[in-house]
Amino acid sequence: MRYYLRKLAFYLVALWAAVTLNFLIPRMLPGNPVDILMAKLQQRGGSPDPATRRAYELLLGTDTHESLVHQYLGYLGNMATGEFGISVSDFPTPVSTVIATSLPWTMALVGLATLISVLVGTVLGVVAGWRRGGWLDSLVPATTVLAAVPYFWLALLLVAVFGAALGWFPLLGGYDVTLNPGWDGPFLRSALYYGVLPATTIVISSAGGWLLGTRNMMVSVAAEDYVLTARAKGLRNSRIMIFYAARNAVLPTVAGFAISLGFVVAGSIVTEQVFAYPGIGSKLLQAVQSNDYALMQGIFLIITVTVLGANLLVDLLYGLVDPRIRTSG
Amino acid sequence: MTNLSTELAAAPLRADWRNMLPRRSPKLVVGAGIIATMTLWAVAGPAVVGDPEAIRDIGLTAPSTAHLLGTTQTGQDVLAQLAYATRGSLYIGILVGVMATLLSVLFGIVGSYVGGLVDEAFSLLSNVFLVIPGLPLVIVISAFVPVQARGSWTIAAVLAVTGWAGSARVLRAQTLSLRSRDYVLASRVAGERPWRVVAVEILPNLLPVLATQFVFAIIAAILSEAGLSFLGLGAANSATLGTMLSYAQNGFALQRGAWWWFVPPGVIIALVGCGLALINFSIDEIINPRLRDIPRRRTADQPRPARPVTRTDDDAVLTVQGLSVTYRTTQPVHAVRDVTLTLHRGEILGLAGESGCGKTTLAYAINRLHRPPAEITAGTVTFHDRGGEDVDVLALDPRELRAFRWSQLAMVFQGAMNALNPVLTVRAQLADVLTTHRPGLSRRERHRRCGEALSLVGVDPRRLNAYPHELSGGMRQRVMIAMALLLEPQIVILDEPTTALDVLVQRGILRELLRLRDRLRFAVLFITHDLPLLLEVADRVAIMRDGSIVEDAPSDQIIARPRHPYTRQLLGSFPSLTGERGDFLRSPEPEPAPPGGAR
Repeated sequence: MRYYLRKLAFYLVALWAAVTLNFLIPRMLPGNPVDILMAKLQQRGGSPDPATRRAYELLLGTDTHESLVHQYLGYLGNMATGEFGISVSDFPTPVSTVIATSLPWTMALVGLATLISVLVGTVLGVVAGWRRGGWLDSLVPATTVLAAVPYFWLALLLVAVFGAALGWFPLLGGYDVTLNPGWDGPFLRSALYYGVLPATTIVISSAGGWLLGTRNMMVSVAAEDYVLTARAKGLRNSRIMIFYAARNAVLPTVAGFAISLGFVVAGSIVTEQVFAYPGIGSKLLQAVQSNDYALMQGIFLIITVTVLGANLLVDLLYGLVDPRIRTSG
Repeated sequence: MTNLSTELAAAPLRADWRNMLPRRSPKLVVGAGIIATMTLWAVAGPAVVGDPEAIRDIGLTAPSTAHLLGTTQTGQDVLAQLAYATRGSLYIGILVGVMATLLSVLFGIVGSYVGGLVDEAFSLLSNVFLVIPGLPLVIVISAFVPVQARGSWTIAAVLAVTGWAGSARVLRAQTLSLRSRDYVLASRVAGERPWRVVAVEILPNLLPVLATQFVFAIIAAILSEAGLSFLGLGAANSATLGTMLSYAQNGFALQRGAWWWFVPPGVIIALVGCGLALINFSIDEIINPRLRDIPRRRTADQPRPARPVTRTDDDAVLTVQGLSVTYRTTQPVHAVRDVTLTLHRGEILGLAGESGCGKTTLAYAINRLHRPPAEITAGTVTFHDRGGEDVDVLALDPRELRAFRWSQLAMVFQGAMNALNPVLTVRAQLADVLTTHRPGLSRRERHRRCGEALSLVGVDPRRLNAYPHELSGGMRQRVMIAMALLLEPQIVILDEPTTALDVLVQRGILRELLRLRDRLRFAVLFITHDLPLLLEVADRVAIMRDGSIVEDAPSDQIIARPRHPYTRQLLGSFPSLTGERGDFLRSPEPEPAPPGGAR
């Protein structure tokens, strides 16, 4: 129980740190983003009403005489209620709506791709480490090339080969735009079809890391006494590999999930840009390119919250796979 | 494996420059070769190629002798751009690598060395930075910094600030384990200044770890910078592989078939990353020797052709004849030499000798549990079944060997701590013996027999649901013994079964074992360095030294008339009850410990 409470407390601290960072960055760096935003708003024919201006000011800071503490409290209030202001690049949609429509795309893409990548990488790593020196194991150094290829470069090559040259997959987008988005068969099928290349990019680039980590742990674990005991017990090789070696070898992989997820999220932002995928990464870059600071801040916050949530989930699941955590903490 | 290798795996015992250098391996050679070439290209390349900015009216021409890698949209030479871009990317990579490593040293090593609140705070800070996704943060920061203020140093600083946390965490864990080492404690007690202890005693031992983290930081930085530049958020007026790709993309290089513009920068990034990763492989092998490549040979699971067996003795249950085991390393170690032993039905045969004499190697070889590079080079192991059949153990095929193990010959290993799987319950570890060897049993029957086995060794059957970490050391060893007796084997090999336990627990467990032996009539091969204990419990004792059996006689005869000088020496090295102190025993020439631990 103590383990879970400590984890929960840690993620609350991390969340607070991220929110505060989000508050401080625009205030510490040069420029006056609020004025830029208001000017853009006027260009688009929007009437800058005081409430919008107030939301921007709390988010981005301003030269008014309001004290920093006061601004901070107002900012926290707005964050809690999802009041991020209005997006100028998607005028006149509120930032929260932009996020709500794009977040599910990214979560589905990154979630599925990560799941596949973890499964493929771990299974291959287990086999490579167990059959040490075998043909699969000798290919392990080659996977470092895959891990060192920039996501966007790989994505563009995949598009050029499988999209443009062979015509197997669409060049860009998240679904067939002639269809109406909804939970029906044709739409889901099209979303899945459009997602193949972006997901492949993420899987190819990230599976190597999982493979290598698991493989090295398998090699270490194979030398443990309990694996020797299992062999002396006359258990079948497959049983020793799964229940004795792999079961222990995956623990550090699970514990190190946070680091890997950061890389995947980074990669997926760039990948989305290449495929013009309707996810949150594309929106973030759209916001950056059009100086839509409010949208940018909102998206940074939501990405951070989602990643923290995913890590919390993994940490809670870790308690299930390692009995030592459950009792001691 | 035994304690020795775990210790080696944790960290080098003490800074020794020879141990700090990577071993020459194909991976290292290829990796270092790639990096050397790339560095040379980045340093000297720009001087060799022409002006990368020069615009010509030959836009997008394919590679030719004039332009080895073709030209860009505006007719600039791709090869020339590539040279400057490689330099720019490596420069940023190294800059970030240095800055991130310094930060991680500060927060990882210094924090954990100082300890207390500072450590707590630093550790919390690194963990928070670790879970906040880096690239979105970098994008946000870069977006707020005006383009004219975005120099290489700014970008490098931002990448370093968002990239140090992972390695700080690794360094912290390593420092914590080093901090409590004897020699570090010694120099602290001796009144060394803290910075000196860190610099002289701790840092050198962390060098391999630091090196991998540094290399890793460079890879991550080059990739992140490429991503940032591709998105148009990189350093202003800089030429890196990322900006090159960005221009190529904006010039629709791929759509217009100009692969020579788009492919080379990506290949260079991948090559640099791959080269650095290969170097990291070699450094990892210094940190964790278990990862080192082992030459692949015939594994112990493969049987040799059967040989005719002779039954020397009607009462024997196991005959070992002329057995030799060699560790096939660069300098072969003959761990077991021409050993001949006979174990009789229901007998306790003791095998004594100092650490590293080959006792454990012998025990493993009998059951073919030895692993490469250990190899049986000569001899036979014959099991004489109760039913009268003789089994050539070294000739069993893998399936037969699995069936033979545990049902006829069970083992209790030294190190009560690690012989049980930490993530499975006691019930699961007992039951899988029955699932494997007695597949006909029902689930209920299996659980009943597991409970009975625990009661047999004096452990409450309710502990079936416990995990190993919830049991005391003595209880774990009892569980191991229960597991060994589950199938009522004819032979039990005990390898230092009670070494890690305190004397009272030791005695209790041994008494229990002897009682069970009287009841179940299994033969015991009892391995230990504790000769007095052995003389008390064993019917016969074999003394082993440097891989050979030097004396094999009934216990009372060993006590009364030891024949071999080494036996006398061994006996003399233990304090007697009359108050005389024993001599400290050490062989004149200690045998090198076989690789992979004391077996």
